[in-house]
Amino acid sequence: MYTDRLLIIFILGTYLLSPAIIEWWSEGGQAWYRPYLMWLLLIGLCYWIGKSRDFDGL
Amino acid sequence: MAYSFSQVFLIALGYLLFLFMVAWITDRGWLPTRLVRHPAVYVFSLGVYASAWAIYGSIGYAHQYGYNFLAYFLGISGVFMLAPILLAPILRLTTTHQLGSLADLFAFRYRSRLVGGMTALMMLIGMLPLLSLQIKAVAESIQLLTGEDDPGGLAFWFCLLITLFAILFGARHATAREKHEGLVVAIATESLIKVVALVTLTLLGLFGVFGGPGGLSEWLQQHPEALTNLYHPLQDGTWHSMILAFFVSAVVMPHMFYMAFTENLNPRALMTASWGLPLLLLVMALCIPVILWAAAAAEVVALPDYYAIAVGSLSGRHGALLAYVAGLAGASGMLIVATLALSSMTLNHLVLPARTRPLDESLYRWLLWARRLLICGILALAYLFYLTAGDRHTLTELAVLSFVATLQFVPGLIGALFWPGANRNGLFSGLVAGFVVWALALLLPMLFPSWQPTALFDLLDISRRSPAAQWHHVAMASIIVNSVVFALVSLFTRTSSAERNAADACAVDSLRRPFRWELEADTVDDFVQSLTEPLGPVTAEREVNLALRDLNLTRAETRPYALRRLRDQVETNLSGLLGPSVAHQIVDDHLPYKPQAESESSEDIQFIESRLEQYRDRLSGLAAELDSLRRFHRQTLLELPMGVISLGADGEIIGWNLAMEQLTGISAQRTIGSRLSALPPPWNALLYSFAQGDSPREPQAEFTQHGQQRILSLHKSQVQGAMPGERAGGQVIVIEEVTDLHAMEARLTHNERLASIGRLAAGVAHEIGNPVTAIACLAQNLDHEVESGEIRQAATQIVEQTRRISRIVESLVTFSHSGGTQFAVQGPVSLDDTVTEAINLLRLDPDRRGQVFANHCNPEHRVRGDNQRLLQVFVNLLANAADASPDDAPITVRSRMLEQTVEVEIEDRGHGIPPELRDTLFEPFVTSKPAGRGTGLGLALVYSIIEDHFGSIRAESPVADQRGTRFIITLPGFSEEA
Repeated sequence: MYTDRLLIIFILGTYLLSPAIIEWWSEGGQAWYRPYLMWLLLIGLCYWIGKSRDFDGL
Repeated sequence: MAYSFSQVFLIALGYLLFLFMVAWITDRGWLPTRLVRHPAVYVFSLGVYASAWAIYGSIGYAHQYGYNFLAYFLGISGVFMLAPILLAPILRLTTTHQLGSLADLFAFRYRSRLVGGMTALMMLIGMLPLLSLQIKAVAESIQLLTGEDDPGGLAFWFCLLITLFAILFGARHATAREKHEGLVVAIATESLIKVVALVTLTLLGLFGVFGGPGGLSEWLQQHPEALTNLYHPLQDGTWHSMILAFFVSAVVMPHMFYMAFTENLNPRALMTASWGLPLLLLVMALCIPVILWAAAAAEVVALPDYYAIAVGSLSGRHGALLAYVAGLAGASGMLIVATLALSSMTLNHLVLPARTRPLDESLYRWLLWARRLLICGILALAYLFYLTAGDRHTLTELAVLSFVATLQFVPGLIGALFWPGANRNGLFSGLVAGFVVWALALLLPMLFPSWQPTALFDLLDISRRSPAAQWHHVAMASIIVNSVVFALVSLFTRTSSAERNAADACAVDSLRRPFRWELEADTVDDFVQSLTEPLGPVTAEREVNLALRDLNLTRAETRPYALRRLRDQVETNLSGLLGPSVAHQIVDDHLPYKPQAESESSEDIQFIESRLEQYRDRLSGLAAELDSLRRFHRQTLLELPMGVISLGADGEIIGWNLAMEQLTGISAQRTIGSRLSALPPPWNALLYSFAQGDSPREPQAEFTQHGQQRILSLHKSQVQGAMPGERAGGQVIVIEEVTDLHAMEARLTHNERLASIGRLAAGVAHEIGNPVTAIACLAQNLDHEVESGEIRQAATQIVEQTRRISRIVESLVTFSHSGGTQFAVQGPVSLDDTVTEAINLLRLDPDRRGQVFANHCNPEHRVRGDNQRLLQVFVNLLANAADASPDDAPITVRSRMLEQTVEVEIEDRGHGIPPELRDTLFEPFVTSKPAGRGTGLGLALVYSIIEDHFGSIRAESPVADQRGTRFIITLPGFSEEA
């Protein structure tokens, strides 16, 4: 189950790096911190996943 | 900036001494374990990734390539965000098999010394530019701070210092097996210092130059070209190849591999690192554009690589010093960890395999010194590289040279984790192909500017003037060539069976089932003896003991399963000491399996089970459902109320359920993996002969254990292979204890016999009764009617004899009426009162007046039953006891309350029951009394009455000193509720 969630993040992450995102990012103008916000969002997602699941696999 | 060289050098020395103190304090155990093993420490220790290039070079890179600099930080963040998928399997592998480096992992997975050696060599060559980058960064920052002319000389002193500390930090132990907690905490401290220094520098720039975030925003509006310079390079299409390069190479870099896996103190911390490290790097990456803009706004005159120092110096000499410390922290941490990792790698894969002298007692000492010398050698090489090429190239050029080199190991790593079909030929060919492209297109042109392979440059669209500027083209070309060659050669060449087995151990999703082989060594002592030849007696003893301790096994272990695990553990531990290639060779040569065709070997069910248990959390979907089904079946078998033993085709015990544990008193842990013949007696002979025999069942297997006779019912069945045509998988033996069942059957038979005798007795009594009465009447008449003294005496004797016959007939009638009758009164019977009454009755007989009776029954003890019939029981038993005992020997009666029943003991000190009568004591007409004194119906009657009361009776004789008899009667207790 958690693997699926991680795959979703992976897809999201890939999406972040996809050309459309790059375009959106480079059109940021004064909002130069846009990539950092996206990055922070991903970190939040990872934190939530890590917290919601006891990682017994290790 | 008015710092002297000695001042700056002393600061570096002081800083490194401080780090060493941190490590030393940790190693002494002065820091609480909770702190040392806290996930935050692990996260910060991973900050070793942010070397001097992150502090200095990334600003220069941002200046030239805009936002592309983020790829350096985002790439590794992506890897850690996917840690549970990508990194957890590697951590599991490195922990399980004690693999200390990527070369160890490759040598283990691809079962090849050559692959291990080549990985170590290529990693060493590939990392030299990154190591020299650190030296260059520190040397040039010192140059900026002091104004010294000769950065080469500064670099030399710095290298000397780092060599000393690298040895102090990591080469105090002979083996990489021990975790260096001190090193981890020191590197975490170093990362903290680095981040704090960088953030402080950024704040100095933000508030010192712009006056705050508002000022920065205003400046950006006035200078839109600053933002355009950041955004514009994103359009040139290099982002994707760069993020890929940084994404994948981050993990295979030796210093990252070392900190993330080898020195991992708390495996769960990896989950924290999945968001912690990206957050740490986000903070650092956020500083880069601000410092860049501050430098631009202040119009500093410096190389963009060193804008951090320039911005720091705007706030005075201490600001510059702060930037220097940040760079020093990044460079020293990376240099120490990378050098340690590379020294282990080269030792295990280049030096040890080349050693011709046998390993002996001096092994640990030799390893320690070899590691120290290698650290010196590696740093000397890095210094030479710096002298040769460092001066002519920017920090970025040196960094990308290493990144593209380490990228070449990624196909092999992916193959190891996800593709069991990958083989050593493929890896070898792919690595060579990728490295050739890298060397031709990047390394050689940077080392020798005259080297210009024009055809290759044109093919890869690389500028002749600066090949490193188009490094992403080389990265993509080399990785594609590498991957394609790796895949094709793997597909079209043969994979050895050893490699296939190792692939199964490594693969995340393996389909192959491991097989069980029998070792030539039969005992732990055989292990020590076999390993003495390659390791010497002391090391062999120590390694075998260590493996036994790791597995929680004892020296007396002989189970084949346990010995196989011991062999694996010895190999794993030796792998941590000598690297997997040498360890595998030693174990293969000296602890071999018996020659056996694979078709004869059995599947290692235990191993499969333990692996499934280990990977339970990773199963999802259908696999998880199958696992639940497996657990259900396993539990059913385990808790089956009959003993079940499952045997492999080779006779090894692979299943021993809970009922078997209860039946035999032998735990499953002791038996699993051993053979039936190795079980303790009497089980070994009993079960082994049954398993070997032809008969599929043995309904009444009798044996004696602890002086008690037990009867078992045994059944066995061959287990056919799960798939059609598959060989037999062994046999299953089902065992049931039938001792109680047999006792009950015997009791039933006895009762039946009594009942039929009762019926016969009733008939006989009836038939005899009438004629005897007639004879008695006639004899009495005769007595009255004749005068003759002789005839009258004869008549009296006839009457006397008929009375005797009547008594016998009365007994028979009583006996025949005793069985099966329902007694009317089910009331409470006080045992004390009943026994007292029985004693009083017996005392009426003048012959028994002198007999000593001792009634110790508890007046509180009451049973459910018929008072008169129980009185009959006690009269019978006490009379028997009195007959057997001398007058002065007391007859004792005691009662004892059990849970639901009351136990009464009648014990005498008489002559006891003759052995020939013991088995038939309760049968009718059995008596030890002389003819005429007993009918032999008393005890049979007692037995019947007790049975009618749902109780039981048994006799023990002799009690002590070969004398005495004890009757023990158990009767249901009386309670008001019932």
